[in-house]
Amino acid sequence: MRRGLAVFVALALLLPLALLLMLSLARQWMWPALLPEQWQLRLWRDLLSDTAGIGSAVGRSVLMAVGVGIAATALGFPTSRQVARHRRRGRLLALIHLPYALSPVVLGVSLLYMFLKWHLAGHMAGVMLAQLVFAYAYAVILLSGFWNAHTDGLVDLARTLGAERRQVWWRVLVPMAMPMLSVCLFQTFLISWFDYPLTLLIGSGQVQTLTIRLFEYFSSGDIRLAASCAVLLMLPPLLALLVNHRLLSHSAAPHPDTLDD
Amino acid sequence: MTDRTPTPLHVDELGVRLGSEAVLRDVSLEVSAGTTLAIIGHSGCGKTTLLRAIAGLLPLSAGRITLGAQRVDAMPPQRRGIVYLNQEPLLFPHLNVFENIAFGLRLRHQSDSIIRERVSELLVQLELDGLARRSPQALSGGQRQRAAFGRALIVAPSLLLLDEPFSSLDPQTRLSMQRLFKEVTHARGITALFVTHDLKESLRMGDRFAMLHGGRLQHYPDRRAFCADPATGVAREASFWGDLAKAVAVTPPVSDSSDA
Repeated sequence: MRRGLAVFVALALLLPLALLLMLSLARQWMWPALLPEQWQLRLWRDLLSDTAGIGSAVGRSVLMAVGVGIAATALGFPTSRQVARHRRRGRLLALIHLPYALSPVVLGVSLLYMFLKWHLAGHMAGVMLAQLVFAYAYAVILLSGFWNAHTDGLVDLARTLGAERRQVWWRVLVPMAMPMLSVCLFQTFLISWFDYPLTLLIGSGQVQTLTIRLFEYFSSGDIRLAASCAVLLMLPPLLALLVNHRLLSHSAAPHPDTLDD
Repeated sequence: MTDRTPTPLHVDELGVRLGSEAVLRDVSLEVSAGTTLAIIGHSGCGKTTLLRAIAGLLPLSAGRITLGAQRVDAMPPQRRGIVYLNQEPLLFPHLNVFENIAFGLRLRHQSDSIIRERVSELLVQLELDGLARRSPQALSGGQRQRAAFGRALIVAPSLLLLDEPFSSLDPQTRLSMQRLFKEVTHARGITALFVTHDLKESLRMGDRFAMLHGGRLQHYPDRRAFCADPATGVAREASFWGDLAKAVAVTPPVSDSSDA
């Protein structure tokens, strides 16, 4: 039963990816054929030789997503502590949800007005800043679950054992929160990686990411090139998911030799 | 790192407010160097607040704390040389037993060879040898408490504050931990404040005795005075066990029916 469920989940996840991969490799694939009748590598050759500028779009997307993920996690962790310890914690958390109450398009339009004034529109830094608004809020919400009476107890203990504030962060809090931080990094990476509306609005067509290229190919009717872009779009998150899964399963591994007195 | 010489503690007219409520008022106490003051009190009487205030984890509204010749109440917790042991044996979950005990030495940037030597010595003394690489989640309650005790001892604190540290242990483990604590603190000449709501535990652990009630501390000159005060409940408890012992003595043993 369990095995059947695992196979079903694996198929549900892998089938779309396999379909996209076949689309990107198909020269001819007519209905009702189950598999492509003719195969080709031309699209991937073009992609890899960067004649269509996909390589630079991938590089830009990776740079932006890694940057946004690191910044959101690094800023979100200390902020989440301040929020969790604040006497008006509930109100602050409600306020932090605000970016999610607005549609990204609405937020993008309002940010665009300010970013145009600040000369950030049409620049990668501007797009990253806009994505950071979402990713930072997400990081604070996710990481506020880390702080509780147990964590406070360990911090107090570390201080009485002689830990300075910096040592409390680096020797206690960061290592303890590492599984949660890695999940946060992964999720905020994805917020930037898959972002379309903010990049479109704030980037004003000047910031070409993989998602932007994918939508361009799709709207121009080039379904095979769009499929190749989609495969590329799915690879880094899959890789990050695997690394994340390893980290999480390691930290959550049961201890077989728990003893009684 | 060398062991510190035993240090006396003086607390003068200490007060702590939590919000608008005065939790502790005019609390004064003295603990001679290398001895243990046992403080009993009911739940919610301010025992934990008193320890946290002395450790520097709560701000004082009044009073002075002097450790040896040094006034420490204006110092941050990490500079006081006072280790606070919680009710729950809080071990760092990301570190194994060895690294938990070594924690204080790592903070002080001690060399690996010194850390290895001192931790190994403590592991043997606390009967934790063989468990050095085990994670805290894989330890029993007693083992966790011993590791937490070792982590406190290794930094040679001037004062050890113990907040009902054995309350979550079963009676047998509790007794063995009480013995171990007594042996180790006496051998190392550690000054300690031990708070508990358990009368027997206070009598076993303390060299001197006090009772916290309504935010004020009542001192007793010796064990006899502590036991004689009806407020401590020692006399009531002794009477209960005395009556029970008499009842057991006068009740004839149940004879086997085959004798008839």
